[in-house]
Amino acid sequence: MTALEELTKPADTLTNPHIERWKEKDGKVIGYYCTYVPEEIIHAAGMLPYRMRATGSTNSELGDLYASHLTCTFCRHSLDQAMRGEYKFLDGLVALFSCDHIRRMFDAWRYGKIDLPHSPFYLRCLSVPFKVDAPAVEWMAGELDRFRRSLEDHFQVTITNEALRQSIKTCNEKRRLLRSLYELRKKEAPPVTGAEALAIVIAGSSMPVEEFNQLLKQMLGELEGRDGFSDYRARLLLAGGELENPAYIRLIEELGGLVVTDFLCFGVRDFWDLVEEDSEPIAALAKRYIQRVSCPRMIDHPRRDKFVRDLVKEFKVDGVIIQRLKFCDNWGCEGTMTQWEAKKDGIPCMMLEREYLMSAVGQMRTRVQAFLETIRR
Amino acid sequence: MIVAGCDVGSTTGKAVIMKDHTIAAYTIMECKPRPEETARIAINEAMEKAGLSSVEELDYIVGTGYGRLKIPFANDNISEITCHGVGAYWLRNSVRTIIDIGGQDLKVIGLDDSGRVAEFVMNDKCAAGTGRFLENMARVLGLTLEELSTISLKATKTTAISSQCSVFAESEVITLLNLGEEIGNIAKGIHESIASRLSTLVRRVGARKDITIAGGCAKNAGLIDVLEKKLDTDIIRLPEDPQIIGAIGAALLATEKLERSASLKSAK
Repeated sequence: MTALEELTKPADTLTNPHIERWKEKDGKVIGYYCTYVPEEIIHAAGMLPYRMRATGSTNSELGDLYASHLTCTFCRHSLDQAMRGEYKFLDGLVALFSCDHIRRMFDAWRYGKIDLPHSPFYLRCLSVPFKVDAPAVEWMAGELDRFRRSLEDHFQVTITNEALRQSIKTCNEKRRLLRSLYELRKKEAPPVTGAEALAIVIAGSSMPVEEFNQLLKQMLGELEGRDGFSDYRARLLLAGGELENPAYIRLIEELGGLVVTDFLCFGVRDFWDLVEEDSEPIAALAKRYIQRVSCPRMIDHPRRDKFVRDLVKEFKVDGVIIQRLKFCDNWGCEGTMTQWEAKKDGIPCMMLEREYLMSAVGQMRTRVQAFLETIRR
Repeated sequence: MIVAGCDVGSTTGKAVIMKDHTIAAYTIMECKPRPEETARIAINEAMEKAGLSSVEELDYIVGTGYGRLKIPFANDNISEITCHGVGAYWLRNSVRTIIDIGGQDLKVIGLDDSGRVAEFVMNDKCAAGTGRFLENMARVLGLTLEELSTISLKATKTTAISSQCSVFAESEVITLLNLGEEIGNIAKGIHESIASRLSTLVRRVGARKDITIAGGCAKNAGLIDVLEKKLDTDIIRLPEDPQIIGAIGAALLATEKLERSASLKSAK
């Protein structure tokens, strides 16, 4: 199996052989719901940080016991997986106030009838400020320190500054490698599709980071010999929130829209910014997580706008597609503003509403195809 | 140069044969369960009318509509949004907004001054305001679609139908019938509710004039009457059957493809 094949596999299932091997060695796995949870702290505790997905869910009938029909379907499906005991490989779960949907889903984890694998199960909800400024960074450092201590207390481990520094380096390496991959996508004929890139980013939070880095390095070598994709109608940037299904991008790419970059949380928002390696680790983490390229939950739109414009230029993007889960408040506002700005700049832009499961594929195909035809007939 | 456009929609199949930029023949038929079969029958009927006997005689065929990927003889497929834009602009180049009411969805398409699609919105998540909705309502009222249209034009007042959901609207209509409300007034209320939904979508793409209407429901004079009042403007009628606008666009795009490849060849 090539490294590329190995790296695109974990996205297809909730757990995978890498996690199973980790568990066999009595390794602990901590699930987290949002890119604002610093994986370095979990990593420094000797545990495997696992970004939560609902992959494999086919309905949400159990999740709907606690979630309303106005809750986003990702949360409903993830909760459903939790209630079915599909996350039994976890030793703990960290959430934060990413949005109302995730926050209320966390209540269900805490108070609901979830089949938890261990007792007491580690559950924590982090607070993250909404502003990007110096007091927010300072406050975040305190919150991250409380997070570190709570992990130490619960699992009876010590998270030293030295370990944190090492974890920062390891996670930074992952980010640098992913950025090298994205660098290749700037080419006239990118060697990976958008669907593959999404799967690779997902793999980055679905296996031990060291293993991922190893495979990614190998894969970057393999890509040198791979012919690029040049048979496309348009180069696209895919923006939006939670998206963990490469098949969604595959559908867009089958119609000729090659996704060459993104503004997704399983994407650039996850890995773009590095953490300072020589500073006091908790302070460095607080700074990075507050100042990183932000999610629309942060009151930081102008910076995001500039970031997306820069991506459009650097990756020679012909059009922007925004995918938004129905009832996602953050992306409802952000997507609308992105559309306005794109219109001003003369960049073709379209917002697609979606549900967690891919449904109404025919309609989606019509919209995407018509959109691509407006770019190039 | 003989080309064809074949539009396999959710309810009807349409085919247009074009000879040197003019419409030679067309056909409109009820859909069969399989899109391949619908496409085959539609193209055969249109060819027969045009005096052709085999698809081999057609230089290029473009498929469109929901069934566009399943048209076995098509050389290419193009979305019905682009096709409607091209077709309507060709028939009347003053058109800037096209309302397309099909069997299972509504589309409003905005064109720029050169006739290219600038923006489009679709209502495809539910049956509100679609042909399917009108069919259901006509059935509840015991009318054909034509009767639903004419009876609405004779209404003395509008009975408000507040629900935009086709399932709930049906129960609302049944309640009104049981209260003894005039059928014409209910029919007008039904058209009013669709027109509300449509006027929102039209305004969303900018409501630039001229506005025209395509698709099967464009034949419903009762609906257009209400819609013109809501939008406070005339809705212009295209000089061809409104159901074949997409197929005309597909045929025009087939012509364009042929001409483009011919000019590429001569350039070489």
